[in-house]
Amino acid sequence: MPDEVAKRVLVVDDAALVRLYYRTALERAGFEVAEALNGVEALEHVLAERFDLLVVDVNMPQMDGLSFLRTLRAKNLPLSSIPALVTSTESAPRRIAEANAAGANFYIVKPLRAETLVQYASLFCGARHG
Amino acid sequence: MDELLTQFLIESRELVDKAGEDLLALEKAHDAKRFEDAFRAFHTLKGGAGIVEFGAMQEALHCAEDALAAARAESRPVSALEIGNCLACLDQVAEWLATIEQSGAIPQNADAGDIVALFARGAATPSTAGAAPSAAADAWVDTLLGAHSDTASEAQTAVRYTPAADCFFRHEDPLALIAGLPGLLAVDVEPRSPWPTLADLDPFSCNLTITALLATSSVEVAAALGGESGRAEIEAVAGRALPLDAESLASAAAEILEAQLRLLDSADTAFQQGRVASVGLVAANVLRYVGRSLESDNVATAAAMAIAEGRVAPLVQAIAAALNAAPPEGVAETGRRKEAAQTIRVAAERIDALVRLTGELIVAKNSLGHSVKLAEAEDSDLAVALKNQHAALERLVTELQRAVVGMRVLPLRVAFRRFPRLIRELSAELDKSATLAISGEDTEADKTIVEAIVEPLVHLLRNALDHGVEDGATRAAAGKPAMATIRLRAAREGEHVVIEVADDGAGIDVAAVRRAASERSLKPREAIAAMSDEEALDLIFMPGFSTAKTVTHLSGRGVGMDAVRTAVARLGGAVAIRTTVGQGTAVRVTLPFSVLVTQVMTVEAGGQLFGIPLDAVVETLRVEKERIFPVGAAHAIVLRDRTIPLVRLADVLGNRAKDRADDSGPIVIAQLDGQLGAVQVESIGERMEIILKPLDGLLSGMPGLAGSALLGDGGVLLVLDLAEVVQ
Amino acid sequence: MSVRVSEAGLIELYGRCGVEDAEALQRHLLAAPGATVEWSGCERLHASVLQVLLVGEPRVQGQPTAEFLRKHVAPIIGRSTKQPGQHATDARDHRYAPRTNR
Repeated sequence: MPDEVAKRVLVVDDAALVRLYYRTALERAGFEVAEALNGVEALEHVLAERFDLLVVDVNMPQMDGLSFLRTLRAKNLPLSSIPALVTSTESAPRRIAEANAAGANFYIVKPLRAETLVQYASLFCGARHG
Repeated sequence: MDELLTQFLIESRELVDKAGEDLLALEKAHDAKRFEDAFRAFHTLKGGAGIVEFGAMQEALHCAEDALAAARAESRPVSALEIGNCLACLDQVAEWLATIEQSGAIPQNADAGDIVALFARGAATPSTAGAAPSAAADAWVDTLLGAHSDTASEAQTAVRYTPAADCFFRHEDPLALIAGLPGLLAVDVEPRSPWPTLADLDPFSCNLTITALLATSSVEVAAALGGESGRAEIEAVAGRALPLDAESLASAAAEILEAQLRLLDSADTAFQQGRVASVGLVAANVLRYVGRSLESDNVATAAAMAIAEGRVAPLVQAIAAALNAAPPEGVAETGRRKEAAQTIRVAAERIDALVRLTGELIVAKNSLGHSVKLAEAEDSDLAVALKNQHAALERLVTELQRAVVGMRVLPLRVAFRRFPRLIRELSAELDKSATLAISGEDTEADKTIVEAIVEPLVHLLRNALDHGVEDGATRAAAGKPAMATIRLRAAREGEHVVIEVADDGAGIDVAAVRRAASERSLKPREAIAAMSDEEALDLIFMPGFSTAKTVTHLSGRGVGMDAVRTAVARLGGAVAIRTTVGQGTAVRVTLPFSVLVTQVMTVEAGGQLFGIPLDAVVETLRVEKERIFPVGAAHAIVLRDRTIPLVRLADVLGNRAKDRADDSGPIVIAQLDGQLGAVQVESIGERMEIILKPLDGLLSGMPGLAGSALLGDGGVLLVLDLAEVVQ
Repeated sequence: MSVRVSEAGLIELYGRCGVEDAEALQRHLLAAPGATVEWSGCERLHASVLQVLLVGEPRVQGQPTAEFLRKHVAPIIGRSTKQPGQHATDARDHRYAPRTNR
């Protein structure tokens, strides 16, 4: 059963290595991927193109992941409704609560292996791959 | 060397250089920006090492990161010693990078031991590494995570359990309780109040607080801990996502759905369209991905409704329904007796899940039966073998069903709880004194029944007091005690549960019943006259009947015994009535001990209503009639490149629709015997939960029917066996 | 009863130590303050017995076979033990002790 259009994912993380790592795995699985270094760039991307999923690290300079999310969620539909998966190195409940308050749909603790990210991305986009 | 490693080398070298610069500058003078840059550099280096799976490098950098974090937490500049250590760490990392460049791979025997020891020597006072000042509520979680940082990333739940001081006397062992929790990663123990000396210690008083980290979800942990004495604080902690296999996919999906519910819950801000819409998208997508397309559609619709109405409730309900997550009741009582037989506490949802699964197993067994019947036509050895095996399977599945549903029992006490008070209130209102005598409240019945029987019983009790029991004067004249007794009795009789409501009142005058029935023209006069007393008494259950001169507000507007009979029949039971004039009346409700609830979709065809078990339904759609094409004597449609046989339900049931021009009714796609089939109906109605009763009597041989169910309005819904229908 | 004192004065915890053993252990420890507790044969330890060990802080030797005790309870006992260097199986806390072999 052929899927219609490929699902598009925006990877937001200040570490180039992380972006490369995720992009490679996601593209191999059939996703289209764009990258952003921080919240500001991320906003530029989402304003310019359609995305099905955002993968956002909380810890970035210039504009951190949660600030970006808060800004995004405050905009109008449909822009404000893009599902967002947030990554962080911290596990504490307080952090999950913060992420929820900012509008994150899910919270994953790093390190996150790319294959696992692909599986979660497929779940979040509702698309089958592989 | 692959692209990832190349990139890793380039970046890491840059970061090492930059970090070194920053550290040297910090040595000369403290500078907040330099500090942040250095911290970020170490953090990013460590992250990169994680991606290429270079453990030793991660370990070494972690020490440096911890040292810097400690300085930041304590709001002081980095000491010269710490800077020296960090530089040494960078030197080691640079060495490793050089090795990688030369050999093209990560060195196998790299060891961070020296760096670790270096930092350990320099450690001043123990500090919870990197912990920023935390809110008091979460402090214990942070401490726990900090003390067990190696398992922190797998942890999903943190528990702090404070047993009651006298728990030992209740035969509890808090340590065993924690030991028994699933997915245990780490355990810590602390005294609740400061320890006395050994001589002063009371060994039978529990002074422990136990904390633990677990890899299982907080919902499961809560279920496992429910009901013990003592206080359990359970916090969800974010865990590292693990790779999914086919089995864990479903639980990952559930986890994501739960997270969406929490997200809707946590909105202390005003309703936010973006947030709610994103939740709807995620939930719908997840459900579609795991093949639950109907529920996915439900959620999508609910999300649209929520946005339109500006409230989260519809979406919360849709997602909760998909999760089938009523708030965990925590414990399903499993027949606990004083003798403390072996019992286990199980969350009600788990049993419900098991019951659902059993229902699906039954459907599968039925499909198999159908195939067996087809094979029988061949009249071969194989067919005989299949038939026998299917019969054996049938016995096993029926037994399983009984066993599983038998787990979901509750004592009737749960239903009877409010009745003593009800009687007290009614006595006051009606000015008739009465007492309620309950017996057999330990009798168990299926949860569905216990919950559903309350209302009919309330009605019977009201009737007894309102109509049955005479007023004080009449009772006195009849020589009866002033206080009337209403008996509520429950007992198990074989495969049935019997509940009886009896009063010592005036009894029912059959002649009056006959008169009233005639007056209301419920049946022809002659028929009524010809009835035996027993049959005539049964007239009470007819809709529209009431002998009361006035319909009091208590008994409702003549809703009467017909409602009771319908409600009981819906549960698969029956009501009978016994009475002796002047002495009293007893109403006897007989119910099945086990009950299976099925979800069906109602459809209309040939002007009649039918039910289709939801388990079989894959999707519903409308197509233009041009897309339906004949195949020999039958029909088919093409759906996403598959040809699916199609039947029109009206035709199959022999009810040709009067107006054949309308061939464009909705189509139900169902999974039948592992293949897809399509059934065209005239319209699709609501979905409902019913109690499926197998057919008996005249209808039992009829093909295409799986059973029947009684609807709320007293009508009968015939439930289809689609596999037989489509053949 | 799952507490006994060997001829050598070793207090042995073996099998399933229940709540009734806590008092006995307490008595033994009070009677012989320097005694060592040996728990290699221990399969289960009731919380009350753990309490006595935490307060009495005796020297504890041996490795119980039960995984829960070995993995989770031993480090807890090890932390409050009087003897330094008796850090049982706790290998993660390398900061505050010389590195042990993993």
